[in-house]
Amino acid sequence: MAASYKIVTWTPFKKRFDLWLLVGIAVYLVTFILITSLSQPVDETFTPIQMLMRAFGTLAFLLLSFILCIGPLARLTLRFKPFLYNRRHLGVTTFFVALFHAALSTLWYHGFSDVNPFLSIFVSNPRYDSIAGFPFESLGFVALFILFLMAATSHDFWNANLGPRLWKTLHMLVYLAYGLLVAHIALGAIQFEKDPIYVALLGGSAAIVAALHLLTALKPSGHITQAPATDWIEVGPAGDMVDAKARIIRPRSGEAIAVFRDGQTVAAVSHVCRHQGGPLGEGLVIDGCVTCPWHGFQYRLTDGTSLPPFTEKVATYPTRIENGIVYVRAIPDPPGTPQTPSIIRAARV
Amino acid sequence: MTRAHRQRHLLIWLILTPVIAIILWQSLLHRPEAPVNDSLPPLLTEEAG
Repeated sequence: MAASYKIVTWTPFKKRFDLWLLVGIAVYLVTFILITSLSQPVDETFTPIQMLMRAFGTLAFLLLSFILCIGPLARLTLRFKPFLYNRRHLGVTTFFVALFHAALSTLWYHGFSDVNPFLSIFVSNPRYDSIAGFPFESLGFVALFILFLMAATSHDFWNANLGPRLWKTLHMLVYLAYGLLVAHIALGAIQFEKDPIYVALLGGSAAIVAALHLLTALKPSGHITQAPATDWIEVGPAGDMVDAKARIIRPRSGEAIAVFRDGQTVAAVSHVCRHQGGPLGEGLVIDGCVTCPWHGFQYRLTDGTSLPPFTEKVATYPTRIENGIVYVRAIPDPPGTPQTPSIIRAARV
Repeated sequence: MTRAHRQRHLLIWLILTPVIAIILWQSLLHRPEAPVNDSLPPLLTEEAG
């Protein structure tokens, strides 16, 4: 993606998505405060500030848990694709929700001391060797700093300037942030909160996130074929290929190849999207363009180039059909090389 | 998703899952019987109140 272009445009869908997100946040906060107020034990009185802290804190954790589930869920079912396309909006929103929680907590518990509030988070409670008394706020602070880094670079400008590899590595720190948040809550609220729903929410969310990630990381994607070490690799019968979808071939060396059927033609491109390394072979062919399932980047199947004004190109691979069997050459042509799609009908005649 | 990216994901979650489980387990194990917020200095909370 060229740095001068903005792929994240404010489409009507994104506007509706963001509106619903804001409405959802407002409903959650109001509901949380109402339920907490009504179910509060007589001997325990939360101040409105403390209720807001809890409301924003729980919301930030639940939002982050949901965000981390989107990737694996989108690989399991197409229903979650819209969330995948809007994941950055959710991520930035989560940072601001967490920031509200952190600001309220820091001001409330550390703002009245002579010590600098940020320093106070780390030094006011020195019980780093204790579990029940661990200064859990320090963990939340580090997690929030990671979320800040991610929110600040959540734009294609930074993806282009840092490069997809570094950008992706930076954003994978979200897993560290999630681990820190789980510890922040487990060593914090869980130590003094009597209501078992907090334990259930924390344990349940962490278990779902971990299980989904392990499940999808271990699950083979799509029609994957481990290819033998030859120039031309057998993909399978052309008639068995599903229209607009791909079969993914993994050569002995090099990156995976996505062999797509588009109507009565077959053509192959690299399985790896140039944007953020998304799995092109798990996407669909829409109007002759391979569409990445992660962020909707599109490449013409005939030559692997993006539609103007975008300039990304992926490698193409020659294909041929013999006796109804599709073959793809293991050696890629340079990105953007035009290719002649193999025609299924002609091959059968 | 590249092969390396998928393997990195798997490795991260193979490490993170037991770490999270241990933290949760230990935090519940050491939970005070009469829960109180003893992680914050009393002076600070009193002052804030």
